[in-house]
Amino acid sequence: MSDPNTPTPNAPTPIARSPIAPINPRVENGWEVSDARSTAALTIADETPLAKVAVRAPFAGAIAGLLGVGFGRAARGPASLQADGLPEALVVGSGPGEWLVLAAPGTSPAVRQRLEALIAGTGEFASVVDLTHGRALMRLRGEDSPAMLAKVCAIDLSDDVVGNGAAFRSSVARLVTDIVRDDCFDARSAGAARGDGVRSYLLHCERSSGQYLFDALLDAGAEFGIEVTGSVRAAG
Amino acid sequence: MMLLTCPWCGPRNSTEFRFGGESHPRPRPDAATPEEWRDYLYFATNPRGWSRETWYHGSGCRRYFAIERHTETNEHRAIDERRAAEARR
Ligand SMILES: [Zn+2]
Repeated sequence: MSDPNTPTPNAPTPIARSPIAPINPRVENGWEVSDARSTAALTIADETPLAKVAVRAPFAGAIAGLLGVGFGRAARGPASLQADGLPEALVVGSGPGEWLVLAAPGTSPAVRQRLEALIAGTGEFASVVDLTHGRALMRLRGEDSPAMLAKVCAIDLSDDVVGNGAAFRSSVARLVTDIVRDDCFDARSAGAARGDGVRSYLLHCERSSGQYLFDALLDAGAEFGIEVTGSVRAAG
Repeated sequence: MMLLTCPWCGPRNSTEFRFGGESHPRPRPDAATPEEWRDYLYFATNPRGWSRETWYHGSGCRRYFAIERHTETNEHRAIDERRAAEARR
C-alpha cells in the first residue's frame, strides 16, 4: 500500500487554466495557452497567465509615491520592483487607493514578496493580494479597437480622454471591467519606427466572467474581422 | 441616458451607479427618541428641487459619495460643505 501523503515521483505538475477556452492548447510557463497565431489587423489575446497582484494603500501616501502612478494612469516600472531582477511590471492605478501590478507569467509570488517588502518599509496600512488565478485578462490590439469597444462601452475613447497609459473602470458589455490603454510598440507595429504604436487595450474582469467578456468582444469585433491570437507578448 | 458626475471618475452613465437615498444628518443614538429614529431611517423629504443624496459608483471606483441633485431637472453638483453646514444651522 502506498502512503497517500507521499508524492508520486512522476506526478504531473499542476497546470493552470484560464477561464477562456484556448484554441490548440499547449502548455507554457505552467499555463494552458492558445497556440493560435493571427496576423489580422484586429486581434484579441487571452493574457490571463500574466501575474496580477492588487495593492490597496492610502490614496496619496508613501506607497502611492513608490508605485509611481496615480488613479487613472498606468506605467511600466517602478525601478524598485525591478531591482531584484524581476521582469518589467505594468503598474495600473485602477481605483482611488487601489493598484494592479501586472508582470510576466509565473512571477506573482516574487512580485507579491517584493511589494510586501516595499510596503513594510513605509509603515503605512496596506494590503497586497495575488489575484492571478481569480481574474481574467485579455488584450485587444488594432487600430479598430476603439471603434469596436465603443459598441459595448460608453466611455469616450478618443486620445484626449483615454490616451496611451490611461486606465479606468467602467461597464463593458454590461460587465464591470478595468480597461488600460497600453499601445504596442513591437516590431509588428507599422508606426513603431515613428514612435507611435498600435492601439491596444488590456481588459481585466472577474475570472467567472472571463469567457463571457471574451465572447462578447469577439462578437462586437466580427464586423472588423477580429481574430484570436496567442499571447501578444510572446509573439512580439 | 442620464449622465451622473462621479467626483472620482467624471461623467458616467447613471446605470453604473446605485442610488443610496437622501442623506440627512444622523441623530445622536443616545439622545434620539424612537420617533426621531424612525424618521431618520424610513422617511424622505422627497422635495421638488435640490436634494442631498448618496450614490454608490459600483461599476467604477466603488466609492460612496454625496451630491446635490435637482429632482426636477437632474442637474447635479458637488456639495459645498460650508454651504451645507450653514443650511443645517
Ligand atoms: Zn467613480
